[in-house]
Amino acid sequence: MDRTEQPTDIRLSPLELEVARLIVESLNLEDIHAEDIDPEAPLFNEGLALDSIDALEIALAVSRKYGFQLRSGDDNIHIFSSLRALSRHVNDNRSSG
Amino acid sequence: MILDPARAWQTAMEADAASLLPGHAHGARIAWHRGRTIDREEFLSHVHQVMRALAPWPDYVINLCEDRYLFMVAFAAGVAQCRTILLPPSRAIGQIADIASGYPRSRRLTDSDVGGVLSNAAGSADLEVPVEHVAAIVFTSGSTGVARPHQKRWGDLVLHARLAARRLAIDASDRVTIVATVPAQHMYGLETTVLLPLIAGATVHSGRPFFPEDIRCALAEVPEPRILVSTPMHLQVCLAAALEWPAIECVISATAPLSKLLAAHVEQALRTRVVEIYGCTEAGSIASRRTVEGDLWHAYEGLTLREVDGAVQVSGAPLPDAVPLTDVLRLHGTATFHLLGRHSDMVNIAGKRASLAELNIRLTEIDGVVDGIFIAPESSADSVARLVALVVAPDLSENEILAALAPRIDPIFLPRPLHKVEALPRTDSGKLPKEALAEFLAQIEAPRRTHRQ
Repeated sequence: MDRTEQPTDIRLSPLELEVARLIVESLNLEDIHAEDIDPEAPLFNEGLALDSIDALEIALAVSRKYGFQLRSGDDNIHIFSSLRALSRHVNDNRSSG
Repeated sequence: MILDPARAWQTAMEADAASLLPGHAHGARIAWHRGRTIDREEFLSHVHQVMRALAPWPDYVINLCEDRYLFMVAFAAGVAQCRTILLPPSRAIGQIADIASGYPRSRRLTDSDVGGVLSNAAGSADLEVPVEHVAAIVFTSGSTGVARPHQKRWGDLVLHARLAARRLAIDASDRVTIVATVPAQHMYGLETTVLLPLIAGATVHSGRPFFPEDIRCALAEVPEPRILVSTPMHLQVCLAAALEWPAIECVISATAPLSKLLAAHVEQALRTRVVEIYGCTEAGSIASRRTVEGDLWHAYEGLTLREVDGAVQVSGAPLPDAVPLTDVLRLHGTATFHLLGRHSDMVNIAGKRASLAELNIRLTEIDGVVDGIFIAPESSADSVARLVALVVAPDLSENEILAALAPRIDPIFLPRPLHKVEALPRTDSGKLPKEALAEFLAQIEAPRRTHRQ
């Protein structure tokens, strides 16, 4: 696929690709290629259809790679609303990786 | 002072009614809610307020409150008026709707319904509930496809909570605070986070912390002594997070067997002791063990186990009828046992239990699904492997099938992966032999494995 023809908003930034790979690896998503994940698509219930167990796995992988703990809170719904949102949260909070 | 359970039941039965919160003396702390303590009087005034403000109350209430304190207030408000709380087996909207349709005089209650009417209204008179009143109906996944109801009378719940409190050594004078990761809507959470607080005098944290850091913060928020109520899956994740934990008096684990290794690691890392509870929705909790000490389970005093017609049944004062257990137990006497495994129809994913037969019915009910079957994973006790499904549905895509399944079953049972197939390897008589199915599945999965290599 010629990437230059994709609309800008669904191209993955380097961090988004990295987080996408983290999701795919930590959850063993066999049929998913990280680079094909739509960064604006929902992560839960639709899109990748992840659930709460997956959220825990992702949290663990994030803490190991980026050195901070995910927390629930008012903004938690937004953190997991898409790959883009999660990557933004990682970028804002990382202390390593 | 812990009452002798048998006498307590006697007393409870002689008195027609049992107090709603016998565990709490005047001024005692019942909950930790949004950063502050709530004492007995404030709780009672909230209950009275909710009773009034949400009138008229139908006969049945589906309590969907996620905040544990609001759940407790709504539970108490309903039960104190001799209403019955319905507890569906999952939050799948289809399941809740099915149950609601079986109880036309019912309504749902959510956090905003209950939270929205709380005020500091006066009136904290104690409330009593007749011991014979059916306070709750809990539902289990049934192999016939219809959720099975199990009635819990108030007097039985009180007695059962006292048996559990005695075994767990929880007494009002200890002033323990319970922090839990499990929902109040399931029997385990109802017993440990609603009934133990009301009846045995514990304080309960109103949250349901999720990420390890949330759990750590909730524990740190409350004073010692602390009890963490959780599951093997959550404990494993907490361990892996490698956090600094506040002092925890005891960790209680249930819903799936806990490996001795994991228990030992948790005891070491959290500097605590880990106690497992064994039970089921039908019977409530019935036995416990200190996991690191050995494999044997010890039934609560007052409960008796015996083998009847090839299955083990539990009986005792809090159980109106003997309850057959769906697991395979090896009894040693009437109060001690080894847990050998599950009945082959039952599956346990991350601590949630379901009947495979029921899941198959939910799958094949879907318009466009011609045939289908769920297959349980061969997983170790501590990992979360998911169910696999094989589906014959020529006109539906995998996503369409998953979307149709989602409202019908708990999300934890959604298959990963779902394989569309042309036909299942049934015999002429329509049976699906285990070996044929295993071979068939292996063939489907083989190309993927070689590809990954």
